[in-house]
Amino acid sequence: MADVTLRGIRKQYGNVTVVKDLDLEVKDGEFCVFVGPSGCGKSTLLRMIAGLEEITAGALSIGGQDMTRVGPSERGVAMVFQSYALYPHMSVAENIGFGLKMTGHPKAEVAARTDKAAKMLQLEPLLKRKPGQLSGGQRQRVAIGRAIVRDPEVFLFDEPLSNLDAALRVQMRAELSGLHQELKATMIYVTHDQVEAMTMADKIVVLSSGHIEQVGSPLELYHRPANLFVAGFIGSPKMNFLKVDVRVEGEAALVTLPGGSRLSLPTEGKPISDGEMTLGIRPEHTDLITGGDAQVQASVKLAEHLGSETIFFVTLADGSEITVKADGLATQKAGDVLALGLSAKACHLFDTDGRAVINGDLTR
Amino acid sequence: MFPTPIQKSARWAQIGYKLLLPMALVLWLLPLIGVAVTSVRPAGDLAAGNYFGIPSSFAGVENYTAVFQNSPIGWYILNSFKVTIPTVIGAVALSCLTGFALAVYNFRANLLLFFMFIAGNFIPFQILMVPVRDMTLKAGMYDTTFGLVLFHVAFQTGFCTLFMRNFIKGLPFALIEAARVEGVSEWKIFTRIVLPLMRPAIAALSVLVFTFIWNDYFWATVLVQGQHAMPVTAGLYALNGQWVAAWHLVSAGSIIAALPPVLMFFLMQRHFIAGLTLGATKG
Repeated sequence: MADVTLRGIRKQYGNVTVVKDLDLEVKDGEFCVFVGPSGCGKSTLLRMIAGLEEITAGALSIGGQDMTRVGPSERGVAMVFQSYALYPHMSVAENIGFGLKMTGHPKAEVAARTDKAAKMLQLEPLLKRKPGQLSGGQRQRVAIGRAIVRDPEVFLFDEPLSNLDAALRVQMRAELSGLHQELKATMIYVTHDQVEAMTMADKIVVLSSGHIEQVGSPLELYHRPANLFVAGFIGSPKMNFLKVDVRVEGEAALVTLPGGSRLSLPTEGKPISDGEMTLGIRPEHTDLITGGDAQVQASVKLAEHLGSETIFFVTLADGSEITVKADGLATQKAGDVLALGLSAKACHLFDTDGRAVINGDLTR
Repeated sequence: MFPTPIQKSARWAQIGYKLLLPMALVLWLLPLIGVAVTSVRPAGDLAAGNYFGIPSSFAGVENYTAVFQNSPIGWYILNSFKVTIPTVIGAVALSCLTGFALAVYNFRANLLLFFMFIAGNFIPFQILMVPVRDMTLKAGMYDTTFGLVLFHVAFQTGFCTLFMRNFIKGLPFALIEAARVEGVSEWKIFTRIVLPLMRPAIAALSVLVFTFIWNDYFWATVLVQGQHAMPVTAGLYALNGQWVAAWHLVSAGSIIAALPPVLMFFLMQRHFIAGLTLGATKG
């Protein structure tokens, strides 16, 4: 069992707090992804779990044991670095076996485990080469091999794919997911790429400026973002936000859309007060067909025909701009006027503090 | 592109370049050429006043054998090795350790300590002459090669530490972190990961320190008096007194004394490898 538990974890450099009293539980065997913009503290948090950064306050336990003040070598974790950090003067085989050799494992065992790891990652033909003679993807594989050979209970990945080209990244993403299913180990993965987070994670932790914005499964975050930050961060193209006026009547919040039309969202008994709020709707949930629960008029500013889909950048009656993702066969061009249908089930309402007060969940 | 390649400049510049370059080269090497030519000049030439002309005959073999037969230069050279080699090993080994500590560990007063090492280099060593001589005398190490080695190691380690610390700082720190996470002990990180990557630095520093110490004249005369511990630089001076007019032999001695640093350079040359850390990181 190797669950990772963080209790009130804080990291301070002088007067600057980069990780603020953070609580988190990563279950045994879970693939947990820390995602957030650069500078949000996600890498620092990972390095604190690895033992490479000191924990200013709070408690960290791995597999039920307190590891807050334990050195990195005794935590039983393996880490894959963004820069790969391969030992340049050693061959691939030596790189993979180095940790085992240095911690006193017999030669035969080191060789056997190195071979097994190399086989798993298709590194066998490269075992005699030096890192300088490998491509980026191969180096990344060696770095992963160095981690799995130790058979750790917890894997830590620090943006491991960010130095690879797009095609290789997609391939490695699938390989890492496969590896997770095969090894069934706990994996913590840091990335700033929400697509990586969505495709690989069992659980996503969205971080911003040192605190957790939301924790949940990929689809939970997509369908029920807890605040404006998560709503804007998850999903591509970004969710559209409109400043709207809200009036509550009974069980419904009446939203006045740009252009004057009204949209009624069910409050589900939540206490909502009248006033200005932010309406959020994803580009893929705005409909070109005049249907839905409310319509708005929009003029096309720019159309991107991608074949599989069409992205429209449109201007609404009050001048606000939104993005619409439509079918690839849509023929409208810049200058055309569209009627957009909005479905109440796909709309989110955020109060002035950015907290979600209504999440229209399409899955329900 | 600046400077413009000479092949692309005007014709007059090309011709001027081709004429002036060898001239400048010869002019610059003139003192060395003078010593080399004098070292193969027969004694008669000097007596006849032929100081700078073509030697009347080649007397290289006689002169060089005479230096070894009639003077303790062999002994002086041995002394020089006895001073230089332990100093190079001591100073480089110590600075590998201090450089590693200062580059890798983030302890309090790290920078202060580092600046102290650098500050030591700014002290003009002449002002240390009397106290250092006193100290070695009191410690019973005056007039011994060991005393000279000890002083040189102490004095060279400052510069060497500056050099090594900056070199190690330039290595990817992730390598050390990766090894730490793998459970490798700090000593093994130093010996198995950092030291192999420091090879170019060690080679460069060895050549540099070797040349410094081999060519040292000042401390050799301050801390040593007798022939038994005299390095070749100070020894050559003693030759001067022995043969007042035997410039051909002094020159031969000088050429012999100058050879070891040159040999050292060629010996270490193959370790000056650029890009040893290639492939360590995304690069």
